[in-house]
Amino acid sequence: MNARAPESSRITSAESDSARVGDAVRRARQGDVGAFEIVYRAYAARMYALCRRMTGDDAQSRDLVQDVFVRAWERLTTFREQSAFGTWLYRLGVNVVLEQLRSRKRDDTRHTDAGEWIAGPGSMGDRLDARMDLDAALARLPAGARTVFLLHDIEGYSHDEIAQMTGIAPGTSRAQLWRARRALMGMLDA
Amino acid sequence: MTDQTTHLTEDDRQSAADGTLPVERRADVEAHLADCDACAADVARITELMKRTRDAMLAPPSETASLDDLWSPIRARIEASKVVSLGTGARPSNSRPLISLIVGGIAAALLLTAVMLRVRPSEPRTSATAQATPDTSVLRAVSDSATAYEAEAQILLDRLEIQRATMRPEARAAIDRNLHTVDVAIAELKDAIARDPNNPALRQLLATSYRQKVELLKRANAS
Ligand SMILES: [Zn+2]
Repeated sequence: MNARAPESSRITSAESDSARVGDAVRRARQGDVGAFEIVYRAYAARMYALCRRMTGDDAQSRDLVQDVFVRAWERLTTFREQSAFGTWLYRLGVNVVLEQLRSRKRDDTRHTDAGEWIAGPGSMGDRLDARMDLDAALARLPAGARTVFLLHDIEGYSHDEIAQMTGIAPGTSRAQLWRARRALMGMLDA
Repeated sequence: MTDQTTHLTEDDRQSAADGTLPVERRADVEAHLADCDACAADVARITELMKRTRDAMLAPPSETASLDDLWSPIRARIEASKVVSLGTGARPSNSRPLISLIVGGIAAALLLTAVMLRVRPSEPRTSATAQATPDTSVLRAVSDSATAYEAEAQILLDRLEIQRATMRPEARAAIDRNLHTVDVAIAELKDAIARDPNNPALRQLLATSYRQKVELLKRANAS
């Protein structure tokens, strides 16, 4: 995991007091749960935002935030100090969410195929606006397209990185991204 | 070379919008966009969508404040995960060879000790009053639960004593080492709780190490 930090996935707000958090990460690595709480408080909001975007669901996101930080605790010893902790944690978070989405997809037979689009643009009849609209539009994308769109256009991962994380081919990632953008443009009347 | 009758491919337009055009395509695509309003408008729409979604998405979520209450369940799971490798009741263990149980138990007990030593007091040691007046109800509860476990452990120990004669020497030695490690952990935890009586993590670890001891004895007896 030595890929460069994706442009927008650096957790800049949390890293602004990086000395304090960095020290907490070091102590947490040595087993200090109290220090890990500082780490949690520094990154929880950003992690929640990621989970919320990827799942579109508050309750599921709150569960996922817990899963991510428990996993982070378990894997802390694999974190190498020279890489940005925020990036490491973020990647771990993406993986936890993807695992969850995959298992949900397996459990949910009525889930759409990657190529199938949910209700077309404008079918709801109401005009969408700003963040709420975007969330609603994203929620109507198939999970695969939504994931790729979020990882690429919002989080700044490359198609190669997305392929690595999700197990799909880079070409599939590109195709999913384009379809997601087109669908969003239709829904958002862009 | 620009070809107005053949518009840019989807690949070219999407890549032009997000800046991922391969170097060898750049000149052609840029030339086409300069001449073709339709393609240029489409690329602009994609770019606008990207900007719009990025701006909206990167705004901090409003729910931030309510995330505080997630820490408690996270911490509980972390504390629990520290002792998951003890294997106490998590898996049916009777089918596993005794020696592997013992080795696992040693590792677990060592982990427990290590975990215990890392737990920080919830209050500064310099607080003389905290040391002088520990929460007696907590200590009593810990003591009650300890007594119950100790009683069960003693019964199991007695039973084990009868079996010792028939055990292989290496298994016997492993059990003794293992029990000693757990006993050391228990003693250290008791000491830590006396100094830091209000630390829930310590209390949980003590209860777990007692449970561990009882489990080890049960396994040893069952083997
Ligand atoms: Zn054109």
